[in-house]
Amino acid sequence: LISARFHRSFDALDQLFGFTRRFYEQEGVPAEERLVLDFCVEEIFTNFVKYNRGASQDIELALERTGDRVQARLTDFDVEPYDMTRAPEVDISLPLASREPGGLGLQLVRRLVDEVTYDYTNRQSRITVIKRLG
Amino acid sequence: MFEIRLGENGEVVCEGRLDAAQAARAQAFLDSLPAPDVVDMTKLEYISSAGLGVLLRTQKRLLQSGGGLRLKNANRHIRDIFRYSGFDRIFQIDDGA
Repeated sequence: LISARFHRSFDALDQLFGFTRRFYEQEGVPAEERLVLDFCVEEIFTNFVKYNRGASQDIELALERTGDRVQARLTDFDVEPYDMTRAPEVDISLPLASREPGGLGLQLVRRLVDEVTYDYTNRQSRITVIKRLG
Repeated sequence: MFEIRLGENGEVVCEGRLDAAQAARAQAFLDSLPAPDVVDMTKLEYISSAGLGVLLRTQKRLLQSGGGLRLKNANRHIRDIFRYSGFDRIFQIDDGA
């Protein structure tokens, strides 16, 4: 398991992806799954930045490979509870004129990985995704 | 790294990773073009929902003038993201095959 904390800013994404890339290389994660995991990490990280507005602490990312499973866990500290994994779904069948940007990120995360869980303890919001490889 | 520019044939060329940190720059570029048409994604590795928002805003703008973006040569991961987002219903997506 490796973990690191990142400044709660979109500008931290480069560092975040540098961290995930080192993990993927170390653990031999295939290219296709790297893109999926990066997508999930970005969506959860940017949602924490956008919606946990009162928060000031850095956001933690922990990555772990166990057999054919990779787990990514993001933790936001000293925040109010907000389970963004239960946000309403965007209706993707709507015509263009009725579509509005936003709301797709976590919906896509749920579609791309095998498990998504949210828990809130000790004023920490934590979202964990698990992706099976291969 | 992310780059967006006009190619020699007038197509919009996107390269690298279009994430939330790059979305504002991509939006500004597309907004500066009166009628962008084809977006060549041959060298676009990655797109997040922030990038999808850029494409959707541009498509809605072009809807007013009867135009629209054609998204070309996206990789498998990006095509999956488009499909799961319903973008295959509101964009012309060409796999370049």
